[in-house]
Amino acid sequence: MTALSLLYSLVYQFGDNFAYLVLAALGLAVIFGMMGVINLAHGEFIMCGAYVTIISARHGLPLPLAMLLGALAAAIAGIIIERLVIRHLYDRLFDSVVATWAISLIVQQTMLLVAGPSLEGIGTPFGSFSLGDYSFSTYRAVLPAIALGILLALYWLFFRTNYGVCARATIQNARMAQCLGLRTDRLYTLTFALGAGLAGLTGALYAPTMTVVPTMGSNFIVQAFVAVVVGGANVIAGTTPAAGILAIIQTGLTASYGQLFGQIGLLVTVIIVIRLMPQGLGNLFSRSR
Amino acid sequence: MTRLLETRALTKRFGGANVINGIDFQIDTGEIRCVIGPNGAGKSTFFKLITGEHTPSDGSIHFLGRDMNRVLPHERIRMGMSIKFQIPGVFADLTVRQHLQLGLYRAKDVSSTSLDELLHRFMLEQEASVLACNLSHGKKQWLEIAMAVSLGPKLLFLDEPVAGMSVEETHATGELIKRLRDAGLTIMVVEHDMTFVKQIASRVSVLHGGRLFADGPLDEILGRDDVAEIYLGRKK
Amino acid sequence: MKQLELVSRGARRKRATSLSLKFLPWLVALGLPLIVDSNASGNFAYCLVWAFGAIGLAAMWGYGGILSFGQTAFFGLSGYAYGIIALNFGDSWITSWGSLLAALVVSVAAATLIGYMIFYGRIKGVFIGIVTLSITLVLETFMSQTAGPQWAIGAAKLNGYNGMGGMPQLTIPWHGGPLTLENTSFYYFVLALLALVYWVTRKLLDGPFGLTLIAIRENPQRAEMLGVDIRRHQLLIFVFGSTLGGLSGVLYTIWGSYITPSTMGLTSAALPVIWVATAGRKSIGGAIIGTALLVWLSQNLAVYGSQYALILLGSILLIVVLLAPEGLLPYVITHLRRLATRPQSNAVPEPQTALKAGRGSKS
Repeated sequence: MTALSLLYSLVYQFGDNFAYLVLAALGLAVIFGMMGVINLAHGEFIMCGAYVTIISARHGLPLPLAMLLGALAAAIAGIIIERLVIRHLYDRLFDSVVATWAISLIVQQTMLLVAGPSLEGIGTPFGSFSLGDYSFSTYRAVLPAIALGILLALYWLFFRTNYGVCARATIQNARMAQCLGLRTDRLYTLTFALGAGLAGLTGALYAPTMTVVPTMGSNFIVQAFVAVVVGGANVIAGTTPAAGILAIIQTGLTASYGQLFGQIGLLVTVIIVIRLMPQGLGNLFSRSR
Repeated sequence: MTRLLETRALTKRFGGANVINGIDFQIDTGEIRCVIGPNGAGKSTFFKLITGEHTPSDGSIHFLGRDMNRVLPHERIRMGMSIKFQIPGVFADLTVRQHLQLGLYRAKDVSSTSLDELLHRFMLEQEASVLACNLSHGKKQWLEIAMAVSLGPKLLFLDEPVAGMSVEETHATGELIKRLRDAGLTIMVVEHDMTFVKQIASRVSVLHGGRLFADGPLDEILGRDDVAEIYLGRKK
Repeated sequence: MKQLELVSRGARRKRATSLSLKFLPWLVALGLPLIVDSNASGNFAYCLVWAFGAIGLAAMWGYGGILSFGQTAFFGLSGYAYGIIALNFGDSWITSWGSLLAALVVSVAAATLIGYMIFYGRIKGVFIGIVTLSITLVLETFMSQTAGPQWAIGAAKLNGYNGMGGMPQLTIPWHGGPLTLENTSFYYFVLALLALVYWVTRKLLDGPFGLTLIAIRENPQRAEMLGVDIRRHQLLIFVFGSTLGGLSGVLYTIWGSYITPSTMGLTSAALPVIWVATAGRKSIGGAIIGTALLVWLSQNLAVYGSQYALILLGSILLIVVLLAPEGLLPYVITHLRRLATRPQSNAVPEPQTALKAGRGSKS
């Protein structure tokens, strides 16, 4: 029994890390993969989703609705930022990195001033269950499944809807897409909003499990970055296996040496992957990109 | 007359196709060699193999008698090759003078007389302090050639040097190239403009389907019916 | 004839203005301690300390096109190196200077290794930024967990998040006992060092090396076809720029007798980029002035709360990126120049036409 529970504990850890990596990375991957923009304000969209979720839940909204509201709030914030800032920088991608970093700094510090260092949270739903000596949070055990569900929904969105076709056409050849009558500027706005909304959803999903602070985005963004760089620009065929492999590395290192070495392991992996496979894993798994 | 450049059975495959198929090619000093051929014949790939941008799938390249296997592009330049590309590749933020200084630094010859001489020879004296991005197309081409020459090379490659030029500019460029040859440079030119080829070439090589179709003195090659046929698809 | 006279007078006026602009900041800096007390001098020294890393970043980014987020990594590396060596080998005046040199050597070695991996591994563009940022974060994460007592090198305890302190400052031999360089004397030392570094950097970047860097930045393939060994040039400027980051770190550690991992965190890594982007990355002198001013501004704002300083910096950066991507100083200078030439607009031709007619002088 103890061997089984030990095994499950590792599986649980893996699932937990995997879900965290995937959910952290998705919004960033969508924006990077579709538009080549490295959105360093990604963490702040996550924070936005988390804050809106907590605040609306505390005002009586049922949790699932609060989460959707959080994702929506982040998406709207994304639209605003895309229209005001990002759209001027599509031909200057280096500068978009710097600009989004500036936005991240401004939003983080403003939130610190306005909302104070932390917000009283809500409890993690569904309680816990135990196996042998270990007890696990039911909610976090279920998150990997939710993450996979979101991935499937994204796959459906990109490959089975009209939006998906238009978006993929625009990525591959924006000028040609315009000649065919596609409103590329609207597509970019929608896509950025999608990425921001996904980030907000991540924040919403994790809000019940952690102390919500204005700087919470920084925790997510490192993981997100690592997963996107290792996975490459391909949102689904890249990010998913990347998250899987990275989760294995992180779980292994954390189990042996502790949390911080797990982090270091991820960062070192990024460096190695950039050195050896600059296009990321996605290239191995997909036909064209 | 020394053998400057030689390729033996040079072959390059991309995917399953032999883009360059067993080319035996030689250039001796003092020549102006024009390489012509229809589109898709492999002229650009041939160039890139010689400069080191591509590695051969088979065969060898010898420059000044030395096997170029594993010699990196910038090392080949140092040995005496110099290239002017088809698409003007100037440095937007630098002036004409600075462009030439770049090459002269490499050639370890920073005297202002060399700089002035280059400016004069390539008719760029007026534009010495102009930023390269503000030059007209023709002047940009001349700047490119001037840069290539500023390195003091032994063998100069020109990839479509008169593309986009007017008739007068083309003729002026031709005279310029002939003066360069008279000054001791060996030059290999890829060009489509037959008037230009007739103006400057001593020998002509014809590439077709990745092979060396014909090779010989200017009059002989241009008089051949089969050369006209591969260009025009019918008998002359 | 009259037109030519007006043109040359305008050109002479321009040259006089730019010459005086060049020397003015140095004169002001020299005279500053005479009008403020020694504590304030010490604070000004603090502002100047960051300028070295900014020079390094401007050289790498503005000339070489290499955006490295690793300045703070070398900052921390050399800072800790100085602390460790100085804490272990006593505080005679010789060893304090020896520690400074050794700490710089550490940066040179690390930069050579990292630079080799990056440039000879053909890593380009944004990925250079990502790799350097990752290295910075690895260092920060690693140093943060060195809190336990087993984490000590000789007599120097690393202390994790809390940071390492108490290392000796720089001293010089003086009759009557070694003189510690602090406040005013430290300020003059830093100023002198800054002048030296500025002169060396100018010599380096105004010559063939700088020209080649610009060519590599603008069109790497073309540069390679001019016989330029791109990777060697990039490695050299990377080592140069990063070591300057390390110099900032050493001087910071000496100034406060203190170094902590937070100097290598995400927010800290952004600061050099913010300063240099705002000041204008293609100007070394601009980078110095811009950095010193922005640090001074942040210091004063931090009294109200560090959030205000960071919000201001972030907003400045955003405005600069959107409106003046070449940097604020070049933007201001360009507009001042336009204003200066306008009163004679019927005599001096517009810059565009002047260039086309071959009479302009911009090099």
